[in-house]
Amino acid sequence: MSFLESQVYIIIFSALFLGGVMSTFVISMVFIHRQRQAQNRQKLDQVKSEHEKTLLDIENEIQQETLTLIGRELHDNIGQLLSLAKLNFGSIRPEKQAEGRDILGQAIQEVRGLSKQLNLDWVESLSINEFIGQQLERIQNTGFCETTLDADFELVDLPKDQKLVLIRVIQESLNNAIKHASPNKILIRMHDSGKGKQIWIKDDGKGFDSSQKSNGSGMINLKKRMETIGGEFELTSTVGNGTEITLTLPN
Amino acid sequence: MDSRFVQAFFISYGEFLIPLDLFFIIGVACFIKLPKETRADIHYWLPFLILVFTAFYENMGAYTNYNYEFKASVNAYLGNTEYPKFNLWLNNITKRGIGVILYLFLIKSWLEPSKKKYINWMIYIFIVVVVIIQYSGIEPLYFNQPIIFTFGANIILIGSGLYFIGMITHEQYLASNPLRLLSFWQMTFIMFTFTLTYISSVAKFYLYEVNPVLGESLFQIEWIMQLINLGILTLTVASPLMPGIFEKEPSYEFS
Repeated sequence: MSFLESQVYIIIFSALFLGGVMSTFVISMVFIHRQRQAQNRQKLDQVKSEHEKTLLDIENEIQQETLTLIGRELHDNIGQLLSLAKLNFGSIRPEKQAEGRDILGQAIQEVRGLSKQLNLDWVESLSINEFIGQQLERIQNTGFCETTLDADFELVDLPKDQKLVLIRVIQESLNNAIKHASPNKILIRMHDSGKGKQIWIKDDGKGFDSSQKSNGSGMINLKKRMETIGGEFELTSTVGNGTEITLTLPN
Repeated sequence: MDSRFVQAFFISYGEFLIPLDLFFIIGVACFIKLPKETRADIHYWLPFLILVFTAFYENMGAYTNYNYEFKASVNAYLGNTEYPKFNLWLNNITKRGIGVILYLFLIKSWLEPSKKKYINWMIYIFIVVVVIIQYSGIEPLYFNQPIIFTFGANIILIGSGLYFIGMITHEQYLASNPLRLLSFWQMTFIMFTFTLTYISSVAKFYLYEVNPVLGESLFQIEWIMQLINLGILTLTVASPLMPGIFEKEPSYEFS
């Protein structure tokens, strides 16, 4: 083979080689893309199933909480009303009997109210503002502490999953304040900050050092739950200065 | 029609110029039909601009072969009296200069915002390098410019590489099928064009002198690749008129 022919072959093979390298590059990119796409899909499915599981857990917890409340109401309120009615009906005095009928009517109203809470349909008909109002009223009625709700907006049209998570997180935050902080006052503010709509829960209770890592999973759970709906959970507390929780709602 | 005109436009490079002009006509017709807001979108007007620009300089090249006097006078103006038949000055200004910058802008339009700055830097460096090499006399404008071509081709290959990296890492690209993305085909053929024409472009003179037949065959590859590229660009311009064939480009949603 002459020198000239060799040079020609080198040129041809170099062109073929470069073409081959490029083809390999593009084909491998497509394969890597397919692989990553499958991994991504798997990850998305996992996130979706975790989200569904969280929602299911939340529904169960809300139902559990509701059943506890109904049990307490049946024992402390309706049971008392029925006993009182029974006593009044036992009397031969007509005014006592009329009083018994009134008490019975009141008991029926209470039972109707409770029966509505047995399924989760109330979640859809209730706004977050109404829910917070009811929770704070219940706390105040027990005489445990003073409560205030200050809202700049009404949260009505939230998707059911977001509403369930918010309800549960608010419920749990209030339960924690009552159980662990012994506050004199609980204040909830709903306002629109630069970051978006926020719910701010503040108590003036014992507080704790929030900079220290806690062993409990309660706060981590609440944070994770807010994140599953695209929101944020922030907690700041210092010993003796109460606790502040900020829930940032998803946009 | 003058025989030199027929020779320049239809016989010498007819198999290349006729399909190129057809793509140009189809591209113009489709672009006119696009809604106003689509025409204002860089993903449509930039491919159209490259198509129009390519049609312009390739036809201009044919015209310089028809009008020898014009070609010779430009060569003489640039200081080239040795080879008055050359029209490499046109190739160097358009294809290897402005063309490379336009292709870099096209690559940039498909990249995620964080990677666009790399292309900006590549464009600045390319302009500086071209100016230095040209004005220092290392590669005169009227002669073959292998260094400038090598540099331009390499930055285009790096830019295309950035697109492919985005394709396998960016979540929006991972949600789509690349084989149904026009950007994927654009990048693939730009890469192939600059790779397969690398040797023929760099060794242009050597091939003409040593083995013109091989040189001619390698240049055929260059023309075919350029036609495929223009075909993809025409398809890009026409894609809004053919809904359902291609997927929505993920880069449209980059914020």
